[in-house]
Amino acid sequence: MLFAQLFINGLQTGALYALIAAGFSLIFGMTRIFHAAHGATFTIAGYIFYECYSVLHINWIVAALAAAIAASLFGVLIDRVIYARIQKHEGSFFTVFVASFGMAIVVQNLIAMIFDRGAVTVSTPLSKSLEMLPGLYVAPIAAVVVLCALIFFMALQWLLTQTNLGIALRALGENPTLVEVYGLTPRLLSQYVFLIGSILVVPAAILTAATSGLNPAMGNHVMLISIAATIVGGVGSLRGAAMAGLILGMAENLCLAVIDPQWSEAVTFVILFLFILFRPGGVYGRAIVT
Amino acid sequence: MTTSAVEQEILLQIRNLNKNFGGLQAIDDVTMDLPAGVITTLVGPNGAGKTTLFNLITGHLIPSSGTVHWLGKPLKGVEPWQVARLGIARTFQDLRLYNQMTVEENIMTVMERGSWLWQAGRKAAEQRVTEILAETQLADKRHERAVDLAYAERKFLSLARIMASQAKLWLLDEPASGLDPRSFERFVTLLRDYAKRGITICIIEHNLDIVIQLSDRVAFLDQGKLLAQGSSEDILKDPHLAAIYFGERA
Amino acid sequence: MIAYLQNIAVLFCINAILALTLNFIMGYAGIFSLAHAIFFGVGAYATAYIAMHASDSLLLCMAASAAISAVLSMALALPALRVRGEYFVAASLGLQVIGVTIFSEWKSITGGLGGMIGIPRPKLLGYTFNDDTAFLALALVVLGIVVGITALLVRGSFGRSLMAIRDSESAAQTYGKHVNAIKTLSVAVAAGLAGVAGSLYAFYISFINVESFMLETSILLMAMVIIGGTGTLFGPIVGAALLMSLPAALTYLPFLPPTELGSIQQIIYGLAMVLLMLFRPGGLVGGRSKEKSA
Repeated sequence: MLFAQLFINGLQTGALYALIAAGFSLIFGMTRIFHAAHGATFTIAGYIFYECYSVLHINWIVAALAAAIAASLFGVLIDRVIYARIQKHEGSFFTVFVASFGMAIVVQNLIAMIFDRGAVTVSTPLSKSLEMLPGLYVAPIAAVVVLCALIFFMALQWLLTQTNLGIALRALGENPTLVEVYGLTPRLLSQYVFLIGSILVVPAAILTAATSGLNPAMGNHVMLISIAATIVGGVGSLRGAAMAGLILGMAENLCLAVIDPQWSEAVTFVILFLFILFRPGGVYGRAIVT
Repeated sequence: MTTSAVEQEILLQIRNLNKNFGGLQAIDDVTMDLPAGVITTLVGPNGAGKTTLFNLITGHLIPSSGTVHWLGKPLKGVEPWQVARLGIARTFQDLRLYNQMTVEENIMTVMERGSWLWQAGRKAAEQRVTEILAETQLADKRHERAVDLAYAERKFLSLARIMASQAKLWLLDEPASGLDPRSFERFVTLLRDYAKRGITICIIEHNLDIVIQLSDRVAFLDQGKLLAQGSSEDILKDPHLAAIYFGERA
Repeated sequence: MIAYLQNIAVLFCINAILALTLNFIMGYAGIFSLAHAIFFGVGAYATAYIAMHASDSLLLCMAASAAISAVLSMALALPALRVRGEYFVAASLGLQVIGVTIFSEWKSITGGLGGMIGIPRPKLLGYTFNDDTAFLALALVVLGIVVGITALLVRGSFGRSLMAIRDSESAAQTYGKHVNAIKTLSVAVAAGLAGVAGSLYAFYISFINVESFMLETSILLMAMVIIGGTGTLFGPIVGAALLMSLPAALTYLPFLPPTELGSIQQIIYGLAMVLLMLFRPGGLVGGRSKEKSA
């Protein structure tokens, strides 16, 4: 029964990680920008939702919308104001990464100052666990999480394959100059990428707020997962990142059957190291060596 | 024209070289010799596989089948940095200079072959740098950063690096493109000078005027196949090859 | 007052060594490491353990700290450097996280969350550095040696190899540089010297625990290097001095709530990093120097 419990928890965590990782992988795969502030986007979305729903008691749909707007604004503005400007001058990996990282630090500490340094949770009617079977506790929200993830992935799939924008975005990842042939600019498309990538974390943030809670430093953990899942899944593969997110979430929970909770984060990195050692291309990835 | 046939030692031998990527046959059963002291030019339409051939020689790509022999020994599974130490050097179309480093540093670091924390022989190295700077007429730019040089100067720095490498085989990828006539003259003189000293030189070039002035021999590559090799006159006068080159085929 | 300044000075020396060594791999080799605090920590714990259980000899402990940190870093570097730079960032982040967990859990060696207490002062040729002023002199000497080593390496052939790899790794490989060996060696040197800093730290503070070696520290070190200026010899030292004086400077601003000073500090250097990357990527000392090309 412990195993079943861990499995369900793993599924829930994995679904959230899949969304987070997909957002990061989308951005990195298509713009080659190491968006170290992705975790900050997540934290902003979570806290805005918390503030609107739990503190100001606004209707949850409006709260969710507010979170989505805040997250997308943050993502797009960073791209527009910071990344674009840097890329115009020199745009090396280092410069972009450091700027991104700097923003992440600023956001983390601003949130710590505005809200509390400790953890906050959003309690919803769906958060309460029910004993489904003896020893197996599941909250209905787990189902919501998985469903949400599925819906968003289907929507993403539709966007990328069935719409002009989506096809242009994929072209951006493969061959930026091709994009210009179609009269679009890589710059504009890049903003769309950040918009979509940032929106993807919003459901994950809201659901995390409702399940395990929020704290200002959680952006770091989000980045860890994003990077690990992107590498394990294969750079450039959205499907890979999502799958890897799921696997990492499952692994993180299932391993609790054998090791102490403090080591569960380490499990993620052991998996990452193994892939870097033996299969750096990831599960689905393109070749990565220069 | 060049050294006598007796002295033309064949240092690089390519035999039945093949490379395919998935379904694409990039190099198709190429057999070629590159003799010492001779400037061979590799020509062919875009996508013919010229740069791929270079990559196969330098170890950046692994052949699907066939062999490359250098100084009698096969180059099998040799890493690019090891290939360099065996005496093969190449330039890149996009130069890839060490932009933040000075001209002197660019040249000196090529001469410093080891990975050690400390290497001796600085005095001798500086002397050689001075010689190379004189030959390439970059002496007054010695302490300029590579990124601040003019276009022609950058091209010559690229050549200077290869000169410093003490390589016996030079693979040059469009080294003279965009050079003004005076610089080009200097360039040709320099190359011929080194060819006379026994260096094997192979150049990828698109500009037919340059090809005529530079080469002793020409090899024509198309769709991965070596269609012809011979003296520049023979190859360039062939109407069949000209048609392929200018894309008049279906 | 003197004691206070001496204290700051010793800590400055230690931070300067850490910043210098991090700059060695970040600014010169172009390798981004988020795990520098771990090598600092490994050095500190190694010295603490040896000093408390075996010998308080300065040279022995420092040598051991340097060696253990260096070897550990090679275990990280050898696999991770084979692939692209972004992967090394990820791997170093992983090492930082796992390192903290190991520091916290391996009670027999590190004392777990409680840390290690009662580390003695080191002994050199019969003299024990119990006097704080003497220790400051020691710290300055060690800093001087590290500056000397770094300068020698950077201005010599190894430095040129690093910069060549930073500017164009493919060209460096093509012209005979064994890139992996060189990168691994540079990481080992940086980690080893960070271990020496850790050794100094353990001896000085006489009490260490995992709190000094967490991600915040790695980030602070990165900020020092970036703000001071990458790829320059004195940039990191300037960065260390600046960022260390920041907390003290902030206390002089009465309108800032004291409980939030830590956050405000981090916000300041986060903003500094962003602004510098936008307008002056070479850092305060480096200036507008452009970054790498192909």
